[in-house]
Amino acid sequence: MADNIEAIQKSIKWYLIIGGILILASGATVWLSYVELPTHSLNILVGMILATIKATLVALIFMHLNHERSMIYKILLFTVVLAVVLFALFIFAHEDPLVFSGFYAPVEQQ
Amino acid sequence: MDIPYTVHARPDTGLYNAKIGIWLFLASEVMLFGGLFSAYIFLRVGADYPWPVHDLDVTLGFINTVVLIASSVTVVMAWAMLKLRKFGWYRINMAITVICAGLFMYNKSLEYRAKFAHYAVKLTDGTMLTGHLPHGYQVKFEGATEFNLSVPLKTSAVSADPIGHVLPFIEGTAPKFKTEDGQEITLDEASFKALSAEAVKKAAAAKKGTASIKLIATTPIKFAVKPSEIFAYTDTTITFRDGTTVTGKLTDDKMTLEVDGVDARGVAQSDKSLAFDHRYLGEAWQKAFVENRDHHITKFEKDYPTRDKTRSATLQKESLFFKLNSAEPPAAGAAHGDAHGGEAHAPAGGHGEAHAHHPTVVLEKKDFTFFSNFTPKLNTYYAIYFTLTGLHGLHVIAGALVLLYFLAFDGKRLRQDPEHLANRVEVGGLFWHFVDLVWIFLFPLLYLL
Repeated sequence: MADNIEAIQKSIKWYLIIGGILILASGATVWLSYVELPTHSLNILVGMILATIKATLVALIFMHLNHERSMIYKILLFTVVLAVVLFALFIFAHEDPLVFSGFYAPVEQQ
Repeated sequence: MDIPYTVHARPDTGLYNAKIGIWLFLASEVMLFGGLFSAYIFLRVGADYPWPVHDLDVTLGFINTVVLIASSVTVVMAWAMLKLRKFGWYRINMAITVICAGLFMYNKSLEYRAKFAHYAVKLTDGTMLTGHLPHGYQVKFEGATEFNLSVPLKTSAVSADPIGHVLPFIEGTAPKFKTEDGQEITLDEASFKALSAEAVKKAAAAKKGTASIKLIATTPIKFAVKPSEIFAYTDTTITFRDGTTVTGKLTDDKMTLEVDGVDARGVAQSDKSLAFDHRYLGEAWQKAFVENRDHHITKFEKDYPTRDKTRSATLQKESLFFKLNSAEPPAAGAAHGDAHGGEAHAPAGGHGEAHAHHPTVVLEKKDFTFFSNFTPKLNTYYAIYFTLTGLHGLHVIAGALVLLYFLAFDGKRLRQDPEHLANRVEVGGLFWHFVDLVWIFLFPLLYLL
């Protein structure tokens, strides 16, 4: 991207602001992890949402993904899809594969 | 021939080549770390023990988070300064980035070292004791006289090698041995080679598959050896890793442990934990434990009256994973000194010097089934912790080396072709941001949640 002088001068201020936001968000993540939410899964969810926001800021601002050529988005589209598949794999371990595939329905236990 | 399109964009992609290259590489890196994060999910979902939460040193982890974020800011600033041709500022920002990487790795080494020195011992009733082994852990034998060595005639993984696997564990001076023909020898490379050659010859003549050598020590020998350095032992024999068996008398296989934590989450009746046996921590600590447990349970009932006590992992940890922060049991009523719960005193790694502030117990071998320092051997959490942070640490080192190279050895390019160097720094910086990005997920997953 043809970053001209003025655009870069302007972005310097943003780099510092984003850096500050990231540190504050990290502090918030630490604090929220000690808060007793109704279930621990909620703590994990909140923590991961914060981490995803932070990661998005790094990618958009520091890695300049907010103004990149289409070629790079095409590469990343594949990566994102495949990574999501990787994270979804655990469903097969978490659920009983026989039940999950509809092979049989378990009898309700008392 | 020069590599094309290092400075100006290639017309069809609109990008200089290195940028396409680094993004393709980062895409593969996402899959590499993605696979390991996926493994983390599998291990956590399938864990049959309470998944450690806040067990690592959160302060150190947070400092490292700030350090990495700061370095991410400075590396993008270095690129911007280069674009603006402010070379002094470029150098300063690059230097700070590399220093931050060094600081990060230094903190990591503190964290790792503390884990290597910290132990967990599993008692037969499911209690986990955590603490330090002030003298290590050794099994001791005395009165050992008879040594049986065997050398298989065919190449074998186990073949007598007393020089490497038996002699190092003898306490005191080098012993003398009598061979079967009554010859007196000192065991060393040369004498053992001669002995085994002769025994092999005899065995071959007798058509036996294994040559055996019997040695009798002229004076009884004492052994002190780590259980991991031998195959097995009984009350009267040790079998060394080279297959050599020695008869003698077991004198000591007790473990001296400076206890800094009693984790009773795996025990049906937590206050009846074996840890509070009169031989070990005893009644006074038991009282302190019960007081701390009931304090946390009452507090939880008051704060969250509608919630299920058994389903709160935090409460389970606060009430049943008891931290011992003094050598003597606290006076009644003072056991739960910190109103914020056990987390404030989470078993941080960095208390290497504080050994004296913990009670010492001498555990009998029959009372524990497993022990390990906080390494991958302990459980799947530490396995994935070391795999993920280790791989991440390697990335930090690699990224820092690349940036250091640009700073220290690319001066000519800086003067003659700063635009090209700016592109190089941008590419190195993209990798550095990725390293930061991985840490943004690692920190909460391993330290906090």
